[in-house]
Amino acid sequence: MAVRVQFENNNEVGVFSKLTNSYCLVAMGGSENFYSVFESELSETIPVVHTSIAGCRIIGRMTVGNRHGLLVPNTTTDQELQHIRNSLPDSVKIQRVEEKLSALGNVITCNDYVALVHPDLDRETEEILQDTLKVEVFRQSVATNVLVGSYCLFSNQGGIVHPKTPSQEQDELSSLLQVPLVAGSVNRGSELVGAGAVVNDWSMFCGMDTTATELSVLESIFRLNAGGIATGSSASSIQGENMRNVLIESMT
Amino acid sequence: MRIEKCYFCSGHVYPGHGIQFVRNDSKIFRFCRSKCHSAFKKKKNPRKVRWTKAFRKAAGKELAVDPSFEFEKRRNVPVKYDRDLWQKTVSAIKKVEEIKQKRSAQFIMQRMKKAKTIEKEKDVKEVQRNMSLIRSPAAGLKMAQQESVVEEIHESDDEMQIAEEV
Repeated sequence: MAVRVQFENNNEVGVFSKLTNSYCLVAMGGSENFYSVFESELSETIPVVHTSIAGCRIIGRMTVGNRHGLLVPNTTTDQELQHIRNSLPDSVKIQRVEEKLSALGNVITCNDYVALVHPDLDRETEEILQDTLKVEVFRQSVATNVLVGSYCLFSNQGGIVHPKTPSQEQDELSSLLQVPLVAGSVNRGSELVGAGAVVNDWSMFCGMDTTATELSVLESIFRLNAGGIATGSSASSIQGENMRNVLIESMT
Repeated sequence: MRIEKCYFCSGHVYPGHGIQFVRNDSKIFRFCRSKCHSAFKKKKNPRKVRWTKAFRKAAGKELAVDPSFEFEKRRNVPVKYDRDLWQKTVSAIKKVEEIKQKRSAQFIMQRMKKAKTIEKEKDVKEVQRNMSLIRSPAAGLKMAQQESVVEEIHESDDEMQIAEEV
């Protein structure tokens, strides 16, 4: 299920949190409201951890991670690194990277198998990315924006890109990522989909301003409606199913 | 809190001390005091300024390559907290420091030793070159004359001995 949340009256939840299939990082805020929404949804399955990166709350934009690992920028202090290491499961590799583009969440986006990165990213960082997160790396831009992390959001089930992405580029991206993609927005027309929402394979959190239409698109593409895959009950999920079939056909 | 190293003199920069400069390619330069900062602003190369650690290492004044320097490093992969490991590490730090100091002292001693032999050689050379100042070359001539007279006497002695034996 998709959940609407706000971080201190701010809709950009992707900025203040990082959600993956094996852990969830949440920023330290003034109140625990934001944290408890994540906690109530996820605490049974994965650890939800309070963190800061270099003393900042914008952890979602500074870090990048998936089921296998987590990359943090070189501004991360030793204490924060140690805290993250102690809180996350042992199977998650953690590495600090020396990268000029230190907002890793903005320049890299990934699921458990593939990653899209900023074209100017260091060769070295790309190698660390491959080793730590065990992903295949593609240098890409989304709708002429190089900040792929901000304008693109995807899980192992599906993904959403900048609303003005041409359909040709969508096809290209979805064949690279091997997941169905749609162009869409969050938070009532915000094109920063990566900043406006966080997603993993079974849950999703988006800003409070997200409209019902946007939510239904998101739920269908990320396959979040309970039993949606099996029954195909709602119209949108059927649409998603069709898209997936079309995609698979075009692959074979 | 991390105790950083000064970019210029490699001294410690404790929290709340010194100044930090971030270049627009995001490289961070930390300085322990205004002396180092102003040297940097004057575009001085720390390798060419004699009082810095960088100079001393580059010029071979101090131990520069040694496995004992491999312990203290900025590490990018964290290790999970383990009480035993941390206690052992803390005790190991003291031992490593001790070894490091001993080795660098040893290095300096070796270097000084070499200097001593070089100095001695230099002294010997100087004495040989300026021998005339200590001993007049003329004095040597007189001695040689006397010696030749003595030798003649010795030779005549020998001849006499031989004659006796026969």
